[in-house]
Amino acid sequence: MRPGPTSLLAALALTLATPSLAAEGERVQIRGEIIDTWCYYSGVMGGPDAVVGTAHHTCAMWCSAGGIPVGLLGDDGQVYMVLKIEGDDASASGDTQLSLASHEITADGMLYKRDGLNYLVVEKVVTDHGITNHNHEDYGVVPGFAIPKPKQ
Amino acid sequence: MMKRFLALLFCLASPLAAQDFSEGSEAKTWNLYAEVPARFEAQVVDILCTITGDCPDNCGDGRRQLGLLRSADGVLVYPNKNSQPAFTGAAVELRPFCGQDVEVDGLMIEDPDLAAKNIYLVQKIRTMGSEDWVKANRWTKDWAKKHPEAKGKGPWFRRDPRVSAYIAESGYTGLGEEADAALIKELFE
Repeated sequence: MRPGPTSLLAALALTLATPSLAAEGERVQIRGEIIDTWCYYSGVMGGPDAVVGTAHHTCAMWCSAGGIPVGLLGDDGQVYMVLKIEGDDASASGDTQLSLASHEITADGMLYKRDGLNYLVVEKVVTDHGITNHNHEDYGVVPGFAIPKPKQ
Repeated sequence: MMKRFLALLFCLASPLAAQDFSEGSEAKTWNLYAEVPARFEAQVVDILCTITGDCPDNCGDGRRQLGLLRSADGVLVYPNKNSQPAFTGAAVELRPFCGQDVEVDGLMIEDPDLAAKNIYLVQKIRTMGSEDWVKANRWTKDWAKKHPEAKGKGPWFRRDPRVSAYIAESGYTGLGEEADAALIKELFE
């Protein structure tokens, strides 16, 4: 017996209304900069161009050490929330994430999407390109107090 | 009959992002461009576990980021920030509530220009059924307990051993002494 339109609609309604329990992963390779997501998303320190790179490096370390989620700002302009790097699942103040603050990396791993955000499990840092965004030449230091005034 | 089903379909499938979670919120403003007060009920979950099915005991014992699986619509909210203006995240605040049903109050960040969605600053938490709120501000005390050797004046981030070691090694810009010196000269001389 073929399902009638009522059954199909009910099934569709159920599918749309049920929150997904686990997202489907997709193998990806993404190049981008390791950033602190709060400063980027909230704008608390300024615009998105100023809260990345060398201008924001010290703050990025503070935030990473402080347990603020780390993201990979891809060349495509998307932010990928990093949940794990090469087996290290310490996404809250972990050593691996801290060591890569402001670094441009090429990451190979699994991408998951849920409720408007991208989540990335990095299986391998294919290349660590180092800190390549020298935007302190444009923005100085962000926030301004990140570098303390030298003692006379 | 068909109209009723279409109405039901619409109600069930409509994104509940349109829901207003600001009702009853007592969240304090941070004067952020895209902040919206948001108070809601949720389950505290290990995000990596929820996303991938990799689920250690006790939400990863503090290593992992924790999320809020909102009861009203099943949306996974990502708490990026606790209530302290001190470069501090939310996982430490949520860890005691791992797996529990809670109510939270704070600020939601929704900025389409930056693709910020379901990003949250949590200001207070309470277990469902409890009268008492817990302020989401214990990160710095937790850090002080873990780093008795770093006791001293000034904020934690000036004294953090790992951050201090990186600054000693590669400077405030991460590019080394020479780049730092030029910037410091420009900033302060």
